[in-house]
Amino acid sequence: MISQQAKDSIERIFQHSARTRLPVNDGDACEITALDAQQANTAPGSHIVVLTISSIAFRFLLVLHFDDDKATRDYYLRDAEDRSLAEALMEVGNLCCGGINQRMVEFFPDLGMSTPYQLSGACVPYLTELKPGYLAAFRVNIGANVQLGATLCMCASSPVDFVAYVSENEESTGELELF
Amino acid sequence: MAKVLIVDDSSTVRDEVAGFLRKNGLDVDTAVDGKDGLAKLKASPGIRLVVSDVNMPNMDGLTMAEKIRGELANASVNIIMLTTESSPAMKERGKAAGVKGWIVKPFKGDAVLETFRKLAG
Repeated sequence: MISQQAKDSIERIFQHSARTRLPVNDGDACEITALDAQQANTAPGSHIVVLTISSIAFRFLLVLHFDDDKATRDYYLRDAEDRSLAEALMEVGNLCCGGINQRMVEFFPDLGMSTPYQLSGACVPYLTELKPGYLAAFRVNIGANVQLGATLCMCASSPVDFVAYVSENEESTGELELF
Repeated sequence: MAKVLIVDDSSTVRDEVAGFLRKNGLDVDTAVDGKDGLAKLKASPGIRLVVSDVNMPNMDGLTMAEKIRGELANASVNIIMLTTESSPAMKERGKAAGVKGWIVKPFKGDAVLETFRKLAG
């Protein structure tokens, strides 16, 4: 029900959004490695942040995996010690999912996004219970020390078929559109 | 001094946006969701600009905007949405609710500071 070209498009959109939204600083390295099905449950991270993009045709989940370790805290919290790492990663996940949403809304104008929520990483193997038409996992290395994971999951109720390409220079955020 | 109200359920965003605006001389208050935003606006008539997220628990930003114009009958405060949402349908709903402008996150303060100053003045 989800065409191969749609799956390829989702992966391209995710990779672009992850590269532009997950690093804190422009220029920080962000290396994304696709994991095969057997490795999917070994994506790093004992905690997860989940966001949903819903349309009439499908429900898409972006699952961002992270560990509450020193490297990740130093990178995402910096001096903000009064804030929890989960809170910071929820906003980072929100930005990454927002980037995916922004590109996909060009093909599916009825999209709506959830607020982010946190779950235990132990929930990830149960994603298969949703009987997704598309499930993919990635390892994401940021800078020298930070390792995140990401799982993409789409459940379709109608055929999903579209082709999207992304340009590395394509970024229209932060500007005020006055009505 | 004219006041700006930042409404976002993420403390990361509240700290980032409020911190930037304060550093640039604006008087800023914050609220954690639309319900809190309405209460703060009722209590502070000096607020001239509301910068709000869309997706929030308890009350979303677009519902808050509709209530500002409807229940509070406040036609003068400027409302800007700062959100990851970019769907045309949501923007249309915002326009119908009297929202003045739309920014897709991430927030880039330098790009909007002068407009914020004018809208808050």
